[in-house]
Amino acid sequence: MRRAIDVRDLRYAYPDGTVALHDVTLQVEPGECVGLLGPNGSGKSTLIRHLNGILPERLTEVGGGVAVMGETITRDNIGQIRRQLGLMFQDADDQLFCATVREDVAFGPQQLGLTPGEVADRVQRALEEVGLVELGHRPPHHLSTGEKRRACLAGVLACEPSILVLDEPTSGLDPRGRRELIALLRQVRATKLIATHDLELVVELCPRSVVLDAGRVVADGPTHQILDDEALMLAHGLERPHILQHRHPH
Amino acid sequence: MTELIPTVYPVDRPVYRWPAGLKLAGALVMIVGTALAPFAWRAWFVGVAAVLVLLVVAGRLPFRSLLLRLLALSPFVAGVALSAALNPRGSADWRVLALRSGLCLATVLVLAQTTPFSAMLAMLRRVGIPALLVTTLALMHRYLFVLGDESERMRRARASRTFSGDRRLVWWTAATVVGQLFVRAFERAERVYDAMCARGWR
Amino acid sequence: MHLPDGFIDAKTALATGVLAAAGVGLALRQVRIELPPRRVPLLGLAAAFLFAAQLVNFPVIGGTSGHLVGGALVAALLGPAAAIVVVTTVLVVQCFLFADGGVTALGANIFNMGIVTTLSGYAVYLAVARVLPGLRGRVAALAFAGWCSTMLAAAACAGQLAWSAAVPWRVGFSAMAGVHAFIGLGEGAVSALILLAIARTRPDLLQDSPDRAAPPVGRFVGLGLLAGLGLALFVAPFACPWPDGLESVADHLGFARPAAAPFLPALAADYRWPGLASPGVALAVAGAAGVISVFVLAIAFSRLLVPKPTRPAGREPERPAPAPS
Repeated sequence: MRRAIDVRDLRYAYPDGTVALHDVTLQVEPGECVGLLGPNGSGKSTLIRHLNGILPERLTEVGGGVAVMGETITRDNIGQIRRQLGLMFQDADDQLFCATVREDVAFGPQQLGLTPGEVADRVQRALEEVGLVELGHRPPHHLSTGEKRRACLAGVLACEPSILVLDEPTSGLDPRGRRELIALLRQVRATKLIATHDLELVVELCPRSVVLDAGRVVADGPTHQILDDEALMLAHGLERPHILQHRHPH
Repeated sequence: MTELIPTVYPVDRPVYRWPAGLKLAGALVMIVGTALAPFAWRAWFVGVAAVLVLLVVAGRLPFRSLLLRLLALSPFVAGVALSAALNPRGSADWRVLALRSGLCLATVLVLAQTTPFSAMLAMLRRVGIPALLVTTLALMHRYLFVLGDESERMRRARASRTFSGDRRLVWWTAATVVGQLFVRAFERAERVYDAMCARGWR
Repeated sequence: MHLPDGFIDAKTALATGVLAAAGVGLALRQVRIELPPRRVPLLGLAAAFLFAAQLVNFPVIGGTSGHLVGGALVAALLGPAAAIVVVTTVLVVQCFLFADGGVTALGANIFNMGIVTTLSGYAVYLAVARVLPGLRGRVAALAFAGWCSTMLAAAACAGQLAWSAAVPWRVGFSAMAGVHAFIGLGEGAVSALILLAIARTRPDLLQDSPDRAAPPVGRFVGLGLLAGLGLALFVAPFACPWPDGLESVADHLGFARPAAAPFLPALAADYRWPGLASPGVALAVAGAAGVISVFVLAIAFSRLLVPKPTRPAGREPERPAPAPS
């Protein structure tokens, strides 16, 4: 069976010599929703950047393999991979680089070589899905943080990827923006890998979690089991969410 | 100054809904005419002024802020006009200079006030301006606000920890802010490139 | 230095427009050849940076303050071709969004600030930095380059005003040169301080240091010739001992074209005569003295700022965590 994401013994060091990933192995099956947990600097963003070939800088010199939908990423199939795996970055301003929301959502479909009609269709559908049709003409600068995040999501969804990888999707959102985004993500039908500090989001969306610390996978299993392991959580700078504490009164 | 850029357009007025190409072409004709027409063509200058007043009134443009911006942008005009007034021999009439540049300034301000920048960019693309230049213009406009905010935050953070009025220190502080701004712009450019690639660019 | 509409007449607007379009076209071609795709977004971000940087005030005396113009700085950071594209972008946005600089004067403004400051700034920076090694040399080089580029742009600006018969050369040049001799000092100092600030936090961004790189002269012959031609066109007719005024300019142009090559050397030869009889020679001597003293100032400035040339990377690098998590 083809795995959605298959990372084996991935090592990576930044050009200045800092080792960011030590032999990371991670498999995600199609249709799964997996939480990727870990403190700041644990290598989450670095790992995510490997999943669509942004890293390593020189693809042919990869020290471990990353395969997406059964295909090992190489310089030749990278365009193919990026069609299937949508990546949402942490800083929404980095991702919304066009003059208006509508133009930005259209960017991905345009790169796919679709006709203008198909592009317009996809943009409309994506905007409807995230509830931003009315704000399509706005410049990104005039959106709230929550609206920016949803616009980013629309930009990724318009490419219709089968796998969605999100980097800190709820950071910096107010409670309502966070609620809306979680509800949205629940509806999206795609394999999902969510890197986050937001453990309540993980509890709500991800049946399985992986904990990364100092560039190593230190735990991989059912979310409740991992979050209940107080020693593990403390050892890796995480905190048990309050929801769980209320659900399992001692 | 970034707060002076009009970005929200009340689209219920006809002036805002006119096609951007039409407005751009009209403004260009008015500006080139005003800047280059012989001063004997009084009717031209009166006509341009009348059109501008009409647009401001009909479009209900914010008259006060337009006037303030007009005044804020005039020091160079005032300087050259002054030097021309003090040295009348060989100089053009300073009143003509001031009239010409004032009308052109007002035309550009009205254009900028009624036309979204994205529409102007689309026009530039259509008339065959090199794509690299249009992309650069678009990215600059997009991140102007982001960097402007960052710069303001850094300036405030620095100012709140600076207690001495030493001018040398103030200069070094300002230079540090600008240097830091470049580093951030550079790092953001890398992330924007990643984001563009992630959605299939190139 | 932004020329507004109405100060430039039709022939000057046309001439500067053609020069600017050709220069930007050459620069774009150069950028397309040498810029890796990874750096394409940097052009837009650098333009946004320059715009934001120009809003940062440097207090001078009393309530007045100045700000960066940045042609030389951007050229030193990104190379001359990219710098032309960046500064041009800033000027276009300032023109159409802020009405800062006229539409008919856009060509002149792009020529003066986008092409002359960047190319001359880069040439001076490169030349000085190759002679004076290390960070100290680069700081001195950029301080000097900032001043030189400002002066050249001011001269071109005055030349265009005289061409347009808006302000006579003698008045315009002495006013522009007088004011910009001081503005240029500020420009040089601010550019050098910013370069130093960047060198302290991210020295890796300045990696391709000019004292190590081979001189990229060959790649900029076209652009250099263009800038030289423009400067000669706007400034030389007036800097010559020929009579002032527009009527004579047209005549001179007819003569100047076939004799373009000996044009500048002839000028220099004229200025090199020992007698200070003519006011033109006196002006040239004063100018040379000014240039030399600014150069000395730039070196003194760099020695004051950069502690010891033995460790060119600078002290206490306050670089934060090197990579995103």
